Amino acid sequence: MSNVTLKTEKVDKVYKLGEHQVRALSDVNIEIAKGDFISIMGPSGSGKTTLLNVLGCLDKPTHGKVLIDGVDITNVPEKNLHKTRKHKIGFVFQTFNLMPWLNAVENVELPMEGTGKTKDEMRKRALNLLDMVGLSKRKEHRPQKLSAGEQQRVAIARALANNPAIVLADEVTGNLDGKTKLEIMRLLGKLNMEQDTTIIIVTHDRQVASMAGRILFLTDGKLLAKEKQGTLRNKRTLENSTE
Amino acid sequence: MAIMISIPAGITANQASTEALTQNLSNTITQSEETINQTLTQIACTLSPSFEGFGFRPTDTGDSDFTPPDGTPPNGDSGFTPGQFGGGVRPGQFGGGTFGGGGTTAMNETLYTDISSIDAVAAIATSLEASEGTEEEMEMMGRSFTRLVPDYIIKGIPLTSDLVDNYPILPTNITDGRNLQAGDSGVVLLSENNTDFFEASVGDTVEILGQSFEVIGVYGSSGVEDIMTLYMTLSDAQSVTNNTGYITSITVFAESSSVVSEVASDISSLHPELTIVTGQQRLDQLEALRDTYEIQLESAESSLAQTQATAVQEIVIAIAATSLIVLFVMLYTVRERTKEIGTLKAIGFSNLNIMSQFMLEGVILSLIAGVIGIAIGVVAAPTLSELLLPAVNAGFGGAFARASNTVSSMSGIVTPELILIALGGAVLLGVLGTLYPAWRASRTSPMEALRYE
Repeated sequence: MSNVTLKTEKVDKVYKLGEHQVRALSDVNIEIAKGDFISIMGPSGSGKTTLLNVLGCLDKPTHGKVLIDGVDITNVPEKNLHKTRKHKIGFVFQTFNLMPWLNAVENVELPMEGTGKTKDEMRKRALNLLDMVGLSKRKEHRPQKLSAGEQQRVAIARALANNPAIVLADEVTGNLDGKTKLEIMRLLGKLNMEQDTTIIIVTHDRQVASMAGRILFLTDGKLLAKEKQGTLRNKRTLENSTE
Repeated sequence: MAIMISIPAGITANQASTEALTQNLSNTITQSEETINQTLTQIACTLSPSFEGFGFRPTDTGDSDFTPPDGTPPNGDSGFTPGQFGGGVRPGQFGGGTFGGGGTTAMNETLYTDISSIDAVAAIATSLEASEGTEEEMEMMGRSFTRLVPDYIIKGIPLTSDLVDNYPILPTNITDGRNLQAGDSGVVLLSENNTDFFEASVGDTVEILGQSFEVIGVYGSSGVEDIMTLYMTLSDAQSVTNNTGYITSITVFAESSSVVSEVASDISSLHPELTIVTGQQRLDQLEALRDTYEIQLESAESSLAQTQATAVQEIVIAIAATSLIVLFVMLYTVRERTKEIGTLKAIGFSNLNIMSQFMLEGVILSLIAGVIGIAIGVVAAPTLSELLLPAVNAGFGGAFARASNTVSSMSGIVTPELILIALGGAVLLGVLGTLYPAWRASRTSPMEALRYE
């Protein structure tokens, strides 16, 4: 397991709601290798989004460690966390969260601002990414001129802009119809297979979850020991099955 | 916000107007005091327009250069100033050394030679005054008038050595060349204002109504900026304005101030048609006028002080209101865009990035508002001043046409400095009003921001 991209050790997350303490995550230990495509399933309130926020450096665990590429991000000072988010993590949201005043290619360029790339390099990379998600013909369109599926493709391209170690996707298919949902999942699968991108999605949609390589289950903030194999056959699942 | 920002521009314009008026009033008061001191032995005789019917109209010459009593503008090129606004031709000036420049109606000079036979008359100076310029329609207090906007005023005075040497018939402050002398002919003494109009200086030849005159000297103004009277000998003036044999006023110098009233009544009995103003009467008039001006000056000054106080108040209110508006708009914007802020943070924007983005937006917003505000200010400032002016100006009448001209031309001016100040102010207010909202935006927890709908 030399190429572990993401690892959590005994992660607890406790929220205080007035006098009550809500334990959102409890002793979560995950190891995710480079090239994994993982879906985390669980009912509403099971702590899926909290886990994703912790993995995405948007939130710090109450206890435990989160290692991304070997760096414990719980030790990274708050003011430097944005660098980790920028370079190590790509986010895809349920509601796409594209900037409405920017067109597709500009949205994809956005995370590259301040990374030292020139305008031309940014544009070139953004166009490549749009091509990869199959939207090169819609590059000048603003989000409101794009369909939900197209917007999510732009968002996926944006998440890949800085070549992150992990792409975190929170209910990315939640706002999409059945056909588009499958298209987006196939796109993520393709990226995972072709680019070796590490992808973690959280969902409560069984069909969506099953399209990943590994399926983890979260209930009441606890990760179930049992793990299922998804339908995706990528390098990792093939390695595992031969072991 | 735009309107808020336009207020200071309007106020400044108002203030400039009031200051111009105040300045003008002070000049006028100074001038009238000077005039008062010269006038004690003088008696001014003019023919008031109502005596036109007496047959003094020069029908014998066949020209129609004289102003009929109804004020119809003359159709010749050497018309006299229309009666109503006679004062308007030389605003703020009281006839210089020899008064009588007001309402002018021509008099046949031969009819008045008998005045010299009156006892205690030391000297008589007959003079002819004619304004040359363009007619202009003007409106004052709801009535419309034709006003002559003079380019210059020709004043012809008899250049006898007795008058020139002993009586104040000529300007005294010669700034270039020399004054007129007894026996001068074909020469002209210009005011500084005239030299601009004719673009001529001492030694040049100027053309006045088709005749050439040599500029012999230039005299400076005394208190009021633009005196436009040029002096020449009476006969030249009569010939150049085509009024040979006619004069517009007679200035009688009494032997002493104690006999002035006797002389005046003698003149009056000889020529009941003449309007006679003695030095004393004139003095009383001038003093009354000066008092009026002083009162107006006081009220103008207090109104200026009030304007300034109001200006400060309004600016403070405007600044506070503008900052608050920017603050609330930006707070609202930040709230509206919570999710966007969350997204930007999730994709790696730092707190500083977010804060500067919102600061920039606030500043740009304020700049745009500032530009709109200045545009409104430029358009509204003259209107604002005009709203204020009639109240101040009503009491001044036609004599203050020039003052009000100065004022309305000033009030239209929005200087580049003013624009820079307004823009700078807009940016400053933008920064002030945006600081807190931008800081709040930058501190937003990305996780909570993303959850925000």
